[in-house]
Amino acid sequence: MEAGTIVRWLKSEGDAVAKGEPLYELDTDKVTQEVEAEADGVLLKIVISDGEVDVGTTVGVIGAEGEDVSGLGDGNGASPQAAASDAPAAEAPTQAAPGTTRAAERPPEAGPAPEAARKPPAEAARAAAAPSPPAAAGERVKASPLARRIARERGLDLASIAGTGPEGRVIAEDVERAAEGAPAAAAVAAPAARPQAPAPPGEVEIVELTSVRRTIARRLTEAWEAPVFQLTVTVDASELSATRERMVELMREGEAKPTVNDVLTRLTAAALMRHRAVNAHFVDGKIHRWPAANVGIAVATPNGLVVPVVRDADRRSVQEIAAVRTDLVSRAREGKLQLADLEDGTFTISNLGMYGIEQFIAVLNPPQVAILAVGSIEERPRVAGGGLVVGPTMTMTLTCDHRAIDGSEGAEFLRDLKLFVESPALAL
Amino acid sequence: MPEVTYREAVRDALSRALREDDGVFLMGEDIAEMGGSMAVTQGLLEEFGAKRIRNTPISEMAIVGTAIGAAMQGMRPIVEIMYEDFLTLSMEQLVNQAAKHRTMSGGQLKVPLTIRTQGGAGWSPGAQHAQQLEAWFVHVPGLKVVFASTPEDVRGLLWTAIHDDNPVVFFEHRTLYPVKGEVPDELEPIPLGKARIHREGTDVTVIATGRLVHEALQAAEEAEKDGISVEVVDPRTLLPLDEEAIVASVRKTTRCVTAHEAVTRAGFGAELAAIVQHGAFDWLDAPIERVGARFAPLPFAPVMEQWVVPHAADVLDAVRRTVARA
Repeated sequence: MEAGTIVRWLKSEGDAVAKGEPLYELDTDKVTQEVEAEADGVLLKIVISDGEVDVGTTVGVIGAEGEDVSGLGDGNGASPQAAASDAPAAEAPTQAAPGTTRAAERPPEAGPAPEAARKPPAEAARAAAAPSPPAAAGERVKASPLARRIARERGLDLASIAGTGPEGRVIAEDVERAAEGAPAAAAVAAPAARPQAPAPPGEVEIVELTSVRRTIARRLTEAWEAPVFQLTVTVDASELSATRERMVELMREGEAKPTVNDVLTRLTAAALMRHRAVNAHFVDGKIHRWPAANVGIAVATPNGLVVPVVRDADRRSVQEIAAVRTDLVSRAREGKLQLADLEDGTFTISNLGMYGIEQFIAVLNPPQVAILAVGSIEERPRVAGGGLVVGPTMTMTLTCDHRAIDGSEGAEFLRDLKLFVESPALAL
Repeated sequence: MPEVTYREAVRDALSRALREDDGVFLMGEDIAEMGGSMAVTQGLLEEFGAKRIRNTPISEMAIVGTAIGAAMQGMRPIVEIMYEDFLTLSMEQLVNQAAKHRTMSGGQLKVPLTIRTQGGAGWSPGAQHAQQLEAWFVHVPGLKVVFASTPEDVRGLLWTAIHDDNPVVFFEHRTLYPVKGEVPDELEPIPLGKARIHREGTDVTVIATGRLVHEALQAAEEAEKDGISVEVVDPRTLLPLDEEAIVASVRKTTRCVTAHEAVTRAGFGAELAAIVQHGAFDWLDAPIERVGARFAPLPFAPVMEQWVVPHAADVLDAVRRTVARA
């Protein structure tokens, strides 16, 4: 990642922020995510309120209340490192992009004494006995790990939630309650869910591209430059369906229900490990062959197509793949994918079978060198044993980047994949 | 299924093992004519003779050392250490010898040795005769550690321990000997490293061992009256430990209490808490509570002894703290 777009700040200048609290929303070419503060303190200054910024740019400053930060962050992009080292103990320039936010750690004693410490004992005891009001500015929010996780997942600000646990701790139930009463907060996490005014009849509706849409447009145009060829096979899907049905029967409580696509993901991973040429990236005129099959699954979301990655699919059971896929797809639909969910894919499966599409051609997902387009499983006539039989049948089309793969290599991969789909045990 | 006592269940596993394999024999203080200080081995001398039911001098180091030698020579000795407090006298043999030979010989030697012992408060035998020292042994790679809490478990686990090719320290709790429970007609071996969920619940998991399993079940009954649903899990084997079952349970209930009779400090509950916080961190909705004995030598005075060790009420208090509202 080189740059991102600040969509909006979730805190205003002068607000207290706790380490780990969402600070601003960042739109990148892969995902929209909340960037968390890496230090406790007060958001003293917002240097860049919105728009595109390069990684490493100072976008805001966190420090102690009342500190003078007038000199910080103005020479934007010039030397954020210098800004950080100029103020080692106090201000912490907050830089764009996850993982690069810098902040000086300060012990909490450095700030004003906590409220409770100044209260007479009786009053403090009363405070502990009643649901404690949301944490005051600068105070650390007491919350259970579970409460923190739920708040993170739903985009809720823990500091705004009253805790009913011991010593005013915010517990899971408090967050659940706040989530129910605060649909607005939930909507914040999914900007796409904002209602749009319908276009007046007769007028052309012009839709601005979202960052995801823009990325799809750019990357697929790039992909179009690759010289590609397609290979198609039609397979007997009886065993594939039967295997999946058996797995569903044997499913234990709490396990994710495997789909045909989960089984296919596992079988494809096995075939990829036998045909490493197909499990590759084409980057700067070189072919990078990957040691593991990280299979991307194309998922349609309200924001557009995303391809979260099931890592190490060659080393996972179908059951594990189902669990990973369930999590990825649900987060993809909620717009909660992280960058790590989308990186390092080595191959992509696009399945439009659920729409009744029998066969289609997928466009490469660069830098990957191949993508598999999977159609629906349908009862179709097929020639077998010199006669005509009717049975579950599926058509798969492999698109290959000819710069990296020759026809024979693609064909050998597809031949083995067909073998595995028709006899899954052979993928062992 | 017949109802038998915990004591009878232990004896049944011993008898069956003795009958099935000539290499199995028993050693211990007063285990022959007297039938053991807890009457567990009563009747075995008559059936199996003095060569296989062997009284020993009062030297735990000698007993365990001899048994290690026999085990390395291909026998399956079962040692009874009268009180687990006396295990301390055999520490050198257990920790430096029994636990190490298999690894140090590159697998050429094995030590299929079972050390049965018993302890626990309840009879006020004083500070040197009622301790719970299981945590000491969980710290030693090369040993396996079992603590059974029911007649069915004690029989199935002891059978597996006897047939394991590694040294197993097998803890019994003296107040459990008269406890009755149903056991199947056929002895079903219970694998080491498999926890047992005694009671399912949704609000808090109590991970309990030994006597505290029963106290926890009693606390769970009480808690239910307040609308608190308690899951009671007995790891049964402390080493190897069924971490998966423990973590899965806490992820389900989001709260955790550990409970054993041994002192809380550096007790097995500390290890459980560490595993739970790591495996279920994002699922925890309350601090993990530990229930154990107060940090004091056990007093002779019965009322004081009872004050030092934990009971159902202590488990219940801990359960309530985890679901507490301010």
